[in-house]
Amino acid sequence: MLAQAAGKIAQTLVVLLIVSIASFSLLKLAPGDPVLLMLGSEFDQASYDSLNKALGLDQPVVVQYLEWLGSFVTGDWGISYVGRADIFNLVVREALPVTLTLTACSLGLAILIGVPVGVLSAVKKDTIWDAAAAVFALTGTAFPSFFLGILLIWIMGVQFGAFPVMGFVPPWEDFWAGLYHLVLPSITLSTFFIGMIVRVTRAALVEVLDQPYITAAKARGEPGWRVVWVHGVRNIMMPIVTVIGLQLGGILQGAVLTETVFSMPGIGQMLTNAVLGREYMLVQAGVMLTAVLFILVNLLVDLSYPFLDPRLRPR
Amino acid sequence: MTRDPGEKIDHKAILEARLSARIGRRSFLKVAGAGALASAGFGLTPDIARADQAGHIRIASLSHIDTLDPHFTFFLGAVQIINNIHNGLLKVTFDGEAVKFEPDLAASWDLEDDKTHLFKLHEGVKFHDGTALDAEAVKFSLMRVKSGTPASPHAWKLELLDEIEIVDPLTIRLKFSKPYAFLPVALTGSTGRAGTIVSPAAVEKYGMDYGRNPVGTGPFKFVSWRDNDSIALEANPDYFEAGMPKLAKASFMLINEPSTAVAALVSGQIEGMNDCPLQLVNQVKQVPTINLYGGVEGNYTYVGMNTRKAPFDDINLRRAVAYAIDRDAVVKQGYFGLAQQAFSPISPPMTGFYDPDIAESGRGQRFDLEKAKEFRAKATNQDEIEVTYIMTEDGPGGTRVAQTLAPMLAEIGIKVKLELLEPAAWVKRMKDGEFEILDFRWWADLDPEETLYPEFKSGGSWNYWGWENAEFDRLCIEAGATIDQEKRAALYREAEDHLMDEAPVAMLAHIPVYKAFAKKVEGFQYVPADLVNLHSVSIG
Repeated sequence: MLAQAAGKIAQTLVVLLIVSIASFSLLKLAPGDPVLLMLGSEFDQASYDSLNKALGLDQPVVVQYLEWLGSFVTGDWGISYVGRADIFNLVVREALPVTLTLTACSLGLAILIGVPVGVLSAVKKDTIWDAAAAVFALTGTAFPSFFLGILLIWIMGVQFGAFPVMGFVPPWEDFWAGLYHLVLPSITLSTFFIGMIVRVTRAALVEVLDQPYITAAKARGEPGWRVVWVHGVRNIMMPIVTVIGLQLGGILQGAVLTETVFSMPGIGQMLTNAVLGREYMLVQAGVMLTAVLFILVNLLVDLSYPFLDPRLRPR
Repeated sequence: MTRDPGEKIDHKAILEARLSARIGRRSFLKVAGAGALASAGFGLTPDIARADQAGHIRIASLSHIDTLDPHFTFFLGAVQIINNIHNGLLKVTFDGEAVKFEPDLAASWDLEDDKTHLFKLHEGVKFHDGTALDAEAVKFSLMRVKSGTPASPHAWKLELLDEIEIVDPLTIRLKFSKPYAFLPVALTGSTGRAGTIVSPAAVEKYGMDYGRNPVGTGPFKFVSWRDNDSIALEANPDYFEAGMPKLAKASFMLINEPSTAVAALVSGQIEGMNDCPLQLVNQVKQVPTINLYGGVEGNYTYVGMNTRKAPFDDINLRRAVAYAIDRDAVVKQGYFGLAQQAFSPISPPMTGFYDPDIAESGRGQRFDLEKAKEFRAKATNQDEIEVTYIMTEDGPGGTRVAQTLAPMLAEIGIKVKLELLEPAAWVKRMKDGEFEILDFRWWADLDPEETLYPEFKSGGSWNYWGWENAEFDRLCIEAGATIDQEKRAALYREAEDHLMDEAPVAMLAHIPVYKAFAKKVEGFQYVPADLVNLHSVSIG
């Protein structure tokens, strides 16, 4: 079991290394020289050279990469070229918590709504309930979150004035205000996810409900809710967790749009602005962090299987 | 957005360049004197006691903010905030009709001869860190721009500055190597930025990080900058202009998505927007709780043609393009009917330089299909010409302008292939001269110098068109050293005529720039230089 986990972690590190090389090269290939950007148009070669040197951009690309990798691993992520922001602080202490909070809320909402609707749909298979759930799921999956966000803003925020339309208040500073600000963004980000979970839950549960142990449980006279929620749902945890893990990448992607629409200072908006301002170091850090998150989640999903399904535990 | 992709939005800051003009030394003095009188008047009749600051305004800032260092920023959105924290030696004012340049930190401004300027500073002005504003601080700031390391992108604005003499702690004399008509613009703290005065102690203390810890003399002090979230300012109770500021706090909310900002404004979550994009203007006008401020500013949009290679190395083909464009249609379809047709680069707010009769006089470029066809018939290549038009989703017209133009060019036998690029790639193609035709815009300081010369001088780094004309260069250089406004204006018009006739560019429109505020926000003074000065703003 430990060996298995160690193997997975080693694989993860290799993937991260590849991601770092790929993103570093991409940024080097992208048009736009940060030095030109900082100097404007009218300058002499001497000031170009001195700034180039000060930023370490006169070194060969491989040296630049290795230096960057060395300092990245040790947590020294540097200072952004133009904005002079401490990158580690900005990305990890300021932006990351926002994105994680938003993701966690959306995920929580998606599970709270998606699983029960999926269960309902499976239990009431082939009824009007099932059809309604299918329409709900399909709409959720197909609706572009950008558009949904703007719709929610105009209807809930502007017409009814019920919720704030932008901004982020850290829930750990002011819990209720934080939650209040998270309502619309979480709905926006979770709709796609809800649809996904509904469909996976339904498919898996329909299969499980046909199993002999369900019949046995019913025969023992256990109440219906116990049959479904204990014997049934426990056995569909694996596909649900897998889907959540796989889709977390999608949720991070959705977070970029959602954070933009609701103007939340998370990783997504940070990345967008960093690209606009050609803050390469910041883009690089953001891309790496996103990759780390994504890979970490997948690793956790992998490692969680033995806990969810005893059959996968090595003997 | 009022932002160029990539490099240099900066000089494009829009200024109201005006004062310089007023012809000759006498009127120069008169205007300077009027400015001093005006400030004195303020001192005598403070309308609000100093302790009365109240209210918190939240303004959406839709632009990218790179740094709050006035000498290094490239973005107008940053200048808007910087201008509330700092002052310049001079400032831009607007009375609803004409733009003027008046003393700001300077109590008076004298022209001893056409190359020597004498500034007397206000007494007792302090930076937010408690250090005194004196002639040394002014010299420090000017030298930081002129020859600091790293080099400021505005260094060229003080290139002609030969000597700075500190007469006494509150008097400073600037000597230039030749008469410098652009100086008033350069010395403002807003768009020119070369004249923004920063605290030497703070620059010493923070070094490269000054842009995150700006310390000026302005009506508001910098409090905090949370990336991608907000920049917070608080009132400077010791501000030197009596009765200002009126607000206790001001926050610039960093919002990327304009429709979110409008929603926040309508629902009362914020009180203002630093920019209302054209596509939202007509919608915002319908909202009874919002006031829009704005008008045509110092800018122009145009179609640029690469004169270094075929097919647009042919002057007659370029002239044909210039006459073939129906500007009315471009204004309606490209700019939501809000812009004003441009006949030449010099824009309406450049009072004294803009030619008010240009629509009738026949100067400049205009739509005339007959003429376009005449010139087309003189072009070397009489076959159908196929050109690639590179466009990007950016600027006030986005890709709408290109799509509007394509059928107009087809009328004169130019078949346009539209190629959509990512903004950075687009800028690179433009700078490297790897294009045939494109449309672009120039946000200029409110002075014809910065409107014409850097963009079109032979071999200039912003002259992407490769156009060269020695006579144009000569006229611009002469105008730059001419203080007499009428003579100067005449020289620029002549230069402009060469440019319009040889048509490396075909003018399209002058673009209005809008700010939106909730109705309860009072006292906002609009200046057609894309500023969000909160000095006199209060919340009712």
